[in-house]
Amino acid sequence: MAIIKIENLSFSYPEQKSKAIDNISISIEKGDFILICGKTGCGKSTLIKQLKPEITPYGEKEGNIYYKNSPLETLTNKESAAEIGYVLQNPDNQIVTDKVWHELAFGLENLGVPTPTIRRRVAEMASFFGIEKWFREDIKNLSGGQKQILNLASIMVMNPKVLILDEPTAQLDPIAATDFINTLYKINQQLSLTIILVEHRLEETFPIADKVLVLDKGKKLIYDTPRKVGQSFGNSKNHSIIHGFPTPIRIYNECNTNDKCPITIREGSAWLSKNFKSNANKVAPYRKPPHSKVVLELKDIWFRYGRELPDILRGVSLKVYKGEIFSILGGNGSGKTTTLNIISGINLPYRGKVLIHGKNISDYKKKELYHNNIAVLPQNPQTLFVKNQVEKEFEEIVNVMKYNKDEAIEKIHSIAEVLNIKHLFKMHPYDLSGGEQQKVALAKILLLNPKIILFDEPTKGLDGYSKKILGSILMDLKKTDVTTIMVSHDIEFCAKYSDRCALFFDGNIVSEDGPVAFFSNNNFYTTAANRMSRHIFKNAITSEDVINLCQQNLKNDIIKEA
Amino acid sequence: MMKASAFESYHPIVLFIFFASTIFFTMFLTHPIYLAISLAASALLLSTLIGLKELLKTTLYTMPIFLLISISNPVFSHRGVTPLFYINYNPITLESTLYGLAMATMIVSIMLWFRCYNLIMTSDKFICIFGNTIPILALIISISLRLIPRLKDQIKRISNSQRTLGMYTDTGNILEKVKSRIRILSILITWALENSIDTADSMKARGYGLKNRTTFSIFKFDKRDIVLLSIILLLILINIIGEIQKYSSYHYYPYISNIDLSLKATFYYISYLLLTILPTIIEIKEDLKWQSLKSKI
Amino acid sequence: MSAKFKKRYNKRSLIISASVILLIIPAIIAIGVKLFNDRKYNLISFIVTFLACIPFFAKFEQRKPRPREILCISVMSTLSVVGRLIFVMLPGFKPVTAITAITGAFLGPESGFLTGALSAIISNIYYGQGPWTPFQMLTWGLLGFIAGILSKFNLMENKIVIILYGIFSGIVFSLMMDIWFVLSIDGLFTWEQYYMAIIAALPFTIIYCISNVVFLLLLYRPIGEKLERVKLKYGLMQN
Repeated sequence: MAIIKIENLSFSYPEQKSKAIDNISISIEKGDFILICGKTGCGKSTLIKQLKPEITPYGEKEGNIYYKNSPLETLTNKESAAEIGYVLQNPDNQIVTDKVWHELAFGLENLGVPTPTIRRRVAEMASFFGIEKWFREDIKNLSGGQKQILNLASIMVMNPKVLILDEPTAQLDPIAATDFINTLYKINQQLSLTIILVEHRLEETFPIADKVLVLDKGKKLIYDTPRKVGQSFGNSKNHSIIHGFPTPIRIYNECNTNDKCPITIREGSAWLSKNFKSNANKVAPYRKPPHSKVVLELKDIWFRYGRELPDILRGVSLKVYKGEIFSILGGNGSGKTTTLNIISGINLPYRGKVLIHGKNISDYKKKELYHNNIAVLPQNPQTLFVKNQVEKEFEEIVNVMKYNKDEAIEKIHSIAEVLNIKHLFKMHPYDLSGGEQQKVALAKILLLNPKIILFDEPTKGLDGYSKKILGSILMDLKKTDVTTIMVSHDIEFCAKYSDRCALFFDGNIVSEDGPVAFFSNNNFYTTAANRMSRHIFKNAITSEDVINLCQQNLKNDIIKEA
Repeated sequence: MMKASAFESYHPIVLFIFFASTIFFTMFLTHPIYLAISLAASALLLSTLIGLKELLKTTLYTMPIFLLISISNPVFSHRGVTPLFYINYNPITLESTLYGLAMATMIVSIMLWFRCYNLIMTSDKFICIFGNTIPILALIISISLRLIPRLKDQIKRISNSQRTLGMYTDTGNILEKVKSRIRILSILITWALENSIDTADSMKARGYGLKNRTTFSIFKFDKRDIVLLSIILLLILINIIGEIQKYSSYHYYPYISNIDLSLKATFYYISYLLLTILPTIIEIKEDLKWQSLKSKI
Repeated sequence: MSAKFKKRYNKRSLIISASVILLIIPAIIAIGVKLFNDRKYNLISFIVTFLACIPFFAKFEQRKPRPREILCISVMSTLSVVGRLIFVMLPGFKPVTAITAITGAFLGPESGFLTGALSAIISNIYYGQGPWTPFQMLTWGLLGFIAGILSKFNLMENKIVIILYGIFSGIVFSLMMDIWFVLSIDGLFTWEQYYMAIIAALPFTIIYCISNVVFLLLLYRPIGEKLERVKLKYGLMQN
């Protein structure tokens, strides 16, 4: 039985010509796990908001949505609140109250459930999700992952029939994200709950989905099982959506092998073993890190937040060279972000030295340090926005930097060109998507004419395509001799774009090397492409490396056969 | 840190009625014996909450107020009939000196009671009490308590970001500092307002605004709550009767009244003492119980 | 609901609210003084100030406000509490009154009152409740309410009115706290002591006035725009 049926649905926002959703028809079976993906702005969020009447935006709607065979509009408010659960992207914003137990009870209070019943159902949910230990905790003491689990639990407690999630792991670190996705899988399998998930993190979600809906510019591109979706992109491999797809699917689609499309790493490595037996060309080219002038040096840095508190950094030393992209990787609390704050002069070490262009950081005046020198792109770009228009954000910096008028126009123009943000100039910064906000923030920082840019988790919440764009921006900056230092959880991104990577653990660097040596020496902490191909190819760490090797070998095979 | 775990664990309504009544009586009754009892009981409870050392510290902080009030009253007020000595031909009277002492005792006890209240009535208990009578305001308070740590965190992030733009300073003259901080406040306001919309969506998605909303509380009203509440209410009643019968009223002007030490009056004094030291009694009882449990283990 | 009716309804609620302030509160004070027979002003004032807030609270509860309204009031009161932290290095120089007044001016007198009163409750949950809590609730509440009324007559658009309001609110806040101080000294109210208290608090009164004027002049437009934007973007306060 179809629990949700969408028929010829179109939707457009007020005063906008193009349709946000364009004639979509799909049917969702009870107990299905549906994954919806597509580039930012493709209408994913708009589509799922149509399924939750309480938060459906204003606009013009055509077509029909049926829930359990009757039009969605006929659902009472109470039924809709209880039966259709909705989890938002930001784990912090959607928590209403200040206590874990209160948040769990909030939905049931709204439904008018009596106290004894609430007590029982809350207890049930808390033990199902493993919340008992922090049941009486203040929300402020929870980690991001715990908060998102709490959001899920406080919806599950209302006993929904359909669960809709809008990029629920976008703000989480990889470990918390995997935990969350596993929990989703568990409730789908054990409670046969229908789940509709919008996600950018496709590597983990593709294998567990029953069906995948791919959207592009508001239109349905394909709606089928993950394997068929993977298979079908062979014909349209230049489609930009494929950048976000799982590594095995991407590699498969670049090699016309005409067999079953692999979806998981395990299937992918089996697929490689099957297709590539020859011994030729097994080594990917080794990318050599540049060794030019040292622009930044940390010498034996020790840091703690207070006299009585434990050390966060324990004797960190590192050198960064001019024009390179240097990535700092590591788990939560390993000292990555603190190191970034030390470099930017926000935190001061209690022992050790920070040298920037050979000069001690404490000898710089404030203006010398932050103008024409070091700039930081924070994790949350919203902390940089002051004005109510993108254009004014830039004017502010122009005034501080004392550019003359022509110079200013020229600078803004060229930066906007590179970042492709000209069409955003008249908008309010908060009306932009996450990726656009990041680009505007980056533009603001570039106006400071920095020589060294520090990025804190630059790929957080970005879809595959936006990551690719960010990567090419980094490469452009590199050409102008700007040094990039980034802190990231995103192994794939670091592998693809860095010149050198460093792994932080327990307040110090445990390994540091060029990406090829760095990742191919790691067994677990390495890219999906490397894990999938290491038994056949050497030094292949990105999917591009693997694709190149595959294609070369295929060519050789063809030549041999001929 | 908190030792008064036994009293603290009673239902918030019981705790609230206890504090409301003791603070009310402390403000209302100027009788020296009642004031002395209140001061002693509040100090006793506070010492079980924060320990003797912290109690002494707190009392030390209240000393300036104590001295200010007890000295300023006889200086300003020349009521009363028993002059002790003269300053600038103005009499300093025994009555106004004593009245000053009484008022100083009152204000110090009120401060100590409120200190206890703040330690015991944590925000979730506060919200529990008002959750039923003013549910929406209680919800607003809960939302705010959730927001405060978030905003504090955000202030830090914003000031770090702005510092690296060269737009924020901790040093420099006051004008620059104020300018920097208004900038932070302004960014914070935008951030808080814009992000609150998600919260509104999350509330609506979970059916906020449906009819017949209930209020859930994690605190259960048990039998022992009924017992303690009945005792408190009984003692309050006795004290009200005592006030109506004028056993607890006392006059400082024009001359101080005598302290009634009759059996009946003593009965009322004891009933007030019992009311105010109830929490301490509960703690001692609990301690004894644990000691006997320990010896059995 | 027609627009015309809505307007009339707003006017009616305005009259009700105004009469609460002008008639009911003095009545409670008069009754209280009679009942307790001319003594225990501290206790009377404690109860009266608390009671005075109740009509506003009750009306708000009855109205069943929408989530966005709830959040706006909550966010603004939290901001005024946290604003105290931002300016912690300058004693007395705090944006609480200004934020309350701006909320009142842009979201209406009722929201202004609630923001002020809740700011007092919430900040005292953090810094400790005391007998001063109801005084702060009522004072900040009324200041927010007055700002709301002034803006109903489009007066808050005027810079001079804003400056006057800033000075007025600084003085009112100081005078109210002085009343509380005098009452808590000996439970009685004498003008002599009141004057002394006012003089002693003069430096603070001046700082209050200056900070109110500074914050209002600098923040009135920006916060106003932000509130208007949120209101517009999400159809806030419409029914």
